[in-house]
Amino acid sequence: MMTDSHPVISQDISEKDIRDAFFDHLYDLAAKDKNLIFLTADMGALSLERFRNDLGSQYINAGIAEQNLVSVASGLALGGKKVFIYAIAPFITQRCYEQIKIDICGMRLPVTIIGSGPGISYGSDGPTHHAIDDIAIMRNMPYINILNPSDSVLSEAAAGFAYESNDPIYIRLDKGRPPVLYERDITFHDGLSVLKQGQDLTIITTGIMVHKAFEIVGELARYSIDAAIVDAYRIKPLNDVMMTDIISRSEKIITIEEHSVTGGLGSAVCDLMADRGILKPIKRIGIRHVNCTGYGSREWLHEYYGLDSRSICKEVISWLGDFLCTKIKKY
Amino acid sequence: MLFQIDELQRKAKLIRGRILEMVVSANKGHIGGAFSCSDILVSLYYGGILRYDPGKPDWSERDRFILSKGHSCIALYAVLADLGYFPLQVLSSFCQNGSILGGHPDRNIPGVEIDTGSLGHGLGVAAGLALCAKMEERDCLTIVLLGDGECYEGSVWEAALFSAHHELNNLVVIVDRNRQCATDFTEDCNRLDPLADKWRAFNWDVREINGHSFVELTDSMKELRSRSSSRPLAVIANTVKGKGVSLMEGKVRWHHGVPSGENLDIARKEICQG
Repeated sequence: MMTDSHPVISQDISEKDIRDAFFDHLYDLAAKDKNLIFLTADMGALSLERFRNDLGSQYINAGIAEQNLVSVASGLALGGKKVFIYAIAPFITQRCYEQIKIDICGMRLPVTIIGSGPGISYGSDGPTHHAIDDIAIMRNMPYINILNPSDSVLSEAAAGFAYESNDPIYIRLDKGRPPVLYERDITFHDGLSVLKQGQDLTIITTGIMVHKAFEIVGELARYSIDAAIVDAYRIKPLNDVMMTDIISRSEKIITIEEHSVTGGLGSAVCDLMADRGILKPIKRIGIRHVNCTGYGSREWLHEYYGLDSRSICKEVISWLGDFLCTKIKKY
Repeated sequence: MLFQIDELQRKAKLIRGRILEMVVSANKGHIGGAFSCSDILVSLYYGGILRYDPGKPDWSERDRFILSKGHSCIALYAVLADLGYFPLQVLSSFCQNGSILGGHPDRNIPGVEIDTGSLGHGLGVAAGLALCAKMEERDCLTIVLLGDGECYEGSVWEAALFSAHHELNNLVVIVDRNRQCATDFTEDCNRLDPLADKWRAFNWDVREINGHSFVELTDSMKELRSRSSSRPLAVIANTVKGKGVSLMEGKVRWHHGVPSGENLDIARKEICQG
């Protein structure tokens, strides 16, 4: 789908919270398959209540003990179960990193790790709850897929993709009701989508920041900068072929993520460019080497860390330098 | 497989001999802990406790044995080779380039259920396996061998809580209580005693035994499939690190080490004489 405006396609699912879309579909899958087991580290969600009530034998609250949660999931998967585990993103990635490495990924088991609250979505709950380096560490896990759905349609599809997969999966599961970007027939096969074409610049982004990219593109258009938007909803493995093609056809590249600039999507794109020998100007925008000790709403924190549309635009325009000057002179 | 006590003793002697030669051949290996758990492994595999078929390592009805103290893998390798999971001559490739037998076990080795090496993982995975067997109403046992030093890992106790809560009475932990960790005696490092009480406090049934007595080992784990208790079972097996070679027994320096010269002669002789 390629359009300049922020698209809203499916009214039906657009009313659904991203998290609810995931769990509602997971419920449907579990209702049909007793082998699907869901374990939580004492994390709930309204949409999980139905799962817990109707499918109690497939729902286990393992308590706030994430290391054990991962190891138990491994044992269940070794026994042939399709396992989904759920906790707050930093706790289900960093705290039990070694369990994920050895018990899940090392043995290539079909366990899906659902991290609630990617980026700084926990807002005023502070740095312990932020996940701004989860992509960086999970990218190093063997065999794992990292998914970062940007809307409810993708979130619902992520549940189906994870269910069908035989590999470990990490899902950065957001919440809220951002505008829906996709048709319901989307799969995770491509791993990325060009949501808007553009001549001058390509913005590669992921998750909730995809929506911010539309605002940024609108702002850049005022300076006659025509920017493309790519939603990298599967961060690992990146679709090398498609991404290489996109980058090769781009003048300049900007990556935007609600994550540390170290090791995240921007780094993954740089890795790809280095491996393919592609020399293009690239600017990574994200959180730079801070502990996120600021307290406030997600929106406030975006401003605080320069991830709001206005700050990003300013940074992009500054970086464009001579390129922009030429454009303005022409204008 | 069900051996008489004297047969178990002879088998343990054979297994210790093979462990020694693997260590000497590779010039490395955690020999002390392998010797402390040798009698436990022999009891499990030859004493009628585990249900398995070396010809069908993936048999769905097999019991699962998890060597959580993965550094003692040389003992397990010696047993698995002796049972025919893989050819005996593979033992001589231990820790050699390209060998399937590394310094810690992984499940590419026939008969090995999971990758271990980092301590504190095995019980959690075993709890998942035992829970799975419960869900599917299979009468398979899951038996986990922990080191006592491993019990310092918090994840062991997370898994202990979980297992008792879910009434995994098909799950058995054996603690190789040799009273040593890598560089120290456990009671001089972080005291573990009273270790049995700790497991009881976590709502486990507990049996304390001499981990070198085949009578006690086989008695404590007979009829595990028909236990009436709803609790998982912890067997605290009091052992001696380096058991079988007097110069190693109870000596901290033999956590890993390779005997040579006169020490090697003594070790071979004592194991042979048993």
